[in-house]
Amino acid sequence: MVSIDRRGLLGAGAALLASPALAQPRWPARPVQMLCPWAAGGGTDAVLRIAATLLERELGQPFNVVNRTGGSGVVGHTAIAQASPDGYTLGIITSEICMLHWQGLTEVTYKNFTPLGQLNNDPPGIQVNASSAYQNVQQLADAIKASPAGKFKASGTGQGGIWHLALASWLGAMGLKADHVRWVPSNGAAPAMQDLAAGGLDFTTCSVPEARAMLDAGRARSLAVMAPARLSAFANIPTLKETMNIDITAGAMRIIAGPANLPAEVKAAIEPALKKVFDSKEYQEFMNARGFGLVYADGAGAGQALAAADKALGDAMKAAGLAKA
Amino acid sequence: MQLSDRVTGGVLVVLGGLAAWSGSRLPAVPGQDVGPAAFPMLIGSGLVICGALIALGIGRSFEVPEEDVPATGSRFGGLRVLIPPALLLFYMLASEPLGFLLTAGIMVFVVAWALGASMRLAVPLALVAPVLVHLAFYKLLRVPLPDGVLPAPW
Amino acid sequence: MNELMEGVRLVAAPDVIIAIVASAIYGLVVGSLPGLSATMATALLVPVTFWLSPIAAIATIITASAMAIFSGDIPGCLLRIPGTPASAAYTDEAYAMTRKGQPEVALGAGLWFSAIGGIVGTLSLVLMAPLLAEMALSFSTFEYFWLAFLGLMCATLVARSSPIKAIASMLLGLLIACIGMENPAGTPRFTFGLTDLLGGIEPIPALVGVFAVSEVMRAMATPEPPKMPHRKFGSILAGQWKLTKKYQWPMWRGNIIGVIIGVLPGAGADMAAWVSYAMSKKFSKEPEKFGTGHPEGLVEAGASNNASLASGWVPSLLFGIPGDTITAIAIGVLYMKGLNPGPTLFTENARSMYALYLIFIIANIIMIPLGIVMIRIASKVLRAPRASIMPVILLLCAVGAFATGNNLFSVLLVGVFGILGFVMERNGYPVAALVLGIVMGTMVEQNFITSLIKSDGDVMPFFERPVSAVLAAMTIGALLWPLGVWIWNRTGGRRLPA
Repeated sequence: MVSIDRRGLLGAGAALLASPALAQPRWPARPVQMLCPWAAGGGTDAVLRIAATLLERELGQPFNVVNRTGGSGVVGHTAIAQASPDGYTLGIITSEICMLHWQGLTEVTYKNFTPLGQLNNDPPGIQVNASSAYQNVQQLADAIKASPAGKFKASGTGQGGIWHLALASWLGAMGLKADHVRWVPSNGAAPAMQDLAAGGLDFTTCSVPEARAMLDAGRARSLAVMAPARLSAFANIPTLKETMNIDITAGAMRIIAGPANLPAEVKAAIEPALKKVFDSKEYQEFMNARGFGLVYADGAGAGQALAAADKALGDAMKAAGLAKA
Repeated sequence: MQLSDRVTGGVLVVLGGLAAWSGSRLPAVPGQDVGPAAFPMLIGSGLVICGALIALGIGRSFEVPEEDVPATGSRFGGLRVLIPPALLLFYMLASEPLGFLLTAGIMVFVVAWALGASMRLAVPLALVAPVLVHLAFYKLLRVPLPDGVLPAPW
Repeated sequence: MNELMEGVRLVAAPDVIIAIVASAIYGLVVGSLPGLSATMATALLVPVTFWLSPIAAIATIITASAMAIFSGDIPGCLLRIPGTPASAAYTDEAYAMTRKGQPEVALGAGLWFSAIGGIVGTLSLVLMAPLLAEMALSFSTFEYFWLAFLGLMCATLVARSSPIKAIASMLLGLLIACIGMENPAGTPRFTFGLTDLLGGIEPIPALVGVFAVSEVMRAMATPEPPKMPHRKFGSILAGQWKLTKKYQWPMWRGNIIGVIIGVLPGAGADMAAWVSYAMSKKFSKEPEKFGTGHPEGLVEAGASNNASLASGWVPSLLFGIPGDTITAIAIGVLYMKGLNPGPTLFTENARSMYALYLIFIIANIIMIPLGIVMIRIASKVLRAPRASIMPVILLLCAVGAFATGNNLFSVLLVGVFGILGFVMERNGYPVAALVLGIVMGTMVEQNFITSLIKSDGDVMPFFERPVSAVLAAMTIGALLWPLGVWIWNRTGGRRLPA
């Protein structure tokens, strides 16, 4: 009795599954799952959710955002890379994918993905307490050079996080060792900015949008941004290039991607759609409201950006002694 | 599972010792004086001390004796308590291949049956509860519950 | 005054009213499901807010989160399954009241004092936001370390068991919090090579496991308890005014502690409830009644956790620093809607701020009628046979755990914590202390280690900053007090209350 029931159920299930598979004219023929390796409510989640909403409008199928968190991003990134490459499971990948494998935490690298479009890049900044004596980044740099190693304390994210590597790169460009400034690990940029305002730190190297509320409140000042050009939302903050002639291009990237070997028709459909999403009034308004950097690159461009970041971050991690063998 | 304080205290001593020992073997972090080892070693030592005190019976006078639970002899005896965790393990392994509705139906039926429910209660419950939960979580909360062999019709 | 009227007009718009009512019902339902947290209820609203006007968008977040925090008390009281880490502090107390046949008093107290706490918290936000914000900004990692340490010590006060076993449970929780790489060094610890453990153990699966699954396991081992005499579910609000008068002082203490702790980013409602419950027991005239179904602690802790929820918005609104995960989501929505956090929000956008205050007050007022309906519906489970409730609870545990990160590993974790909770309970180890350890572990270690890094390994700075010194003195005093009592009693002195 039980076996008959089960067979009946199996048959019914197979029939239900098979019917949409028979007719699959073009992608997307059914809802697409968008994986987010970071928790709901964070910046990456917000960017993906608005992009998914707008993609739905462009392509006429629901794009459902699913947060697959855990393992400091390893779980979600791995899930995107290992999804079946049929175009119905895509996701958002972040700069961490160019760091996790250097730390020996996963085998997955940017090469396991098909990048489809970069939607955002936030470069690191340099922020000090509002009452700090340093009026510009050159004064701060001189003071750091003159101080004994470990006297200056900086923060912005956890040990070995993206902003820690930005600091290491900056120190390296000044000819100092990566640990000349002591890194105080924090649980993200917001607690670091609070500690900066409470007088517990000398400076932070998180991105300017993350520091924005404290800057607006007059509790902190941003001395420089580590980017090739000034940010449109923060045009009064000079770049490190123009003040100290130091070129650092690493930043926090957000890229829509799928598993490797995506069919060409999927790429052909989604890449122009992502460009339209990026150019849409809603997306531009949203990103400007949050202060997130509007940087676009198509699939190939995003792939190059990932390759460059992978090398730069790997070098910085080796210099800071954070990479595993 | 009522164990003597000697046993639970002893387990805590061993656990704390292991935590402190393996904590102490964690690599130092370059550029930092205080590494990942400090906190587990501190906690581990604390557990060793507490475990030892418990094993020696110190502080027992404060305890409120737990009311005596009469054991039930029916269906599977003492191992019955392991049914819920075993079913959670089953859910983890089976929900992807079988699908949510089938897995949940089996879970609900087994628990109801083990608690002595009649077939007249257990079967309808196993049919209705998964459907309601699926509706609430899948539709309202957008949780991607797996379809498996029996996809929901909505 | 003009701006206040403008604020009223903003809130009175039909879309805002609909948003408030709909998100209130949504928050009540989601919060009452075991395993689903207020944070999750809020996060799921974010895509909806894209299409709402700024005020309506914020209204959904405020209302849903306040409702979800309250309704998290319902399964805790009726089934001993706390909905949020905050209600874990007093779950045993509320459940004991249910077993004494007074579920309506316990739930009514949760509802009534939550609403009062929410309104007091809002008033503190209106009247003293800049002052409170200044306080929050004076907290560096040193102060946070002492605060977290004080919070941990509540474990020994809350439990009705040997203090040594309570401390052992709490240490076990701290050890569990060490798992993963979310520690200051960013080094994976105790992961046994499992990727799923890299991110550490989330409090929700642990909470669901030790309370809910262990409860289902207990049901397996015990015969069906005799049916509670069938009687009418009493009035929910009737006794509350009497309780308000009787426990006026604990209620105000709860409100004040809640406002203060809530304002500190990262501490939040969880800690406020624990500290208040412990304080209530410490200063009560009848501490021996705690844990046996005594409403005093519920009054204080219930007021405290909702007061902290409102004051938690202060650092978020003034500096964009999230007080907890809920305000972190809210900040995102504020930016998206052009209401950028910062002092200018209070000056240039005063009418929006007044609208926001009003929404807080309205949410806490409509919580009472909607909460009563919810309690009446939920209380039906007390009359259902156990064999029909327990299977559904187990199913909700599995799905709720899965939903926290859409990760099947959490389901396994819930099972493991179920076994752990069951064994601990049987042997007199309080599981609430374990949960406290898991919830607070990261905060304690983070602030301890980073403070040591900042001071170059020196312990003196832990005592040098003024606020830090006061907190340190309180902690050490609280540590030495029971020891002093114990020695006094041992040396044959007069017995003192511990």
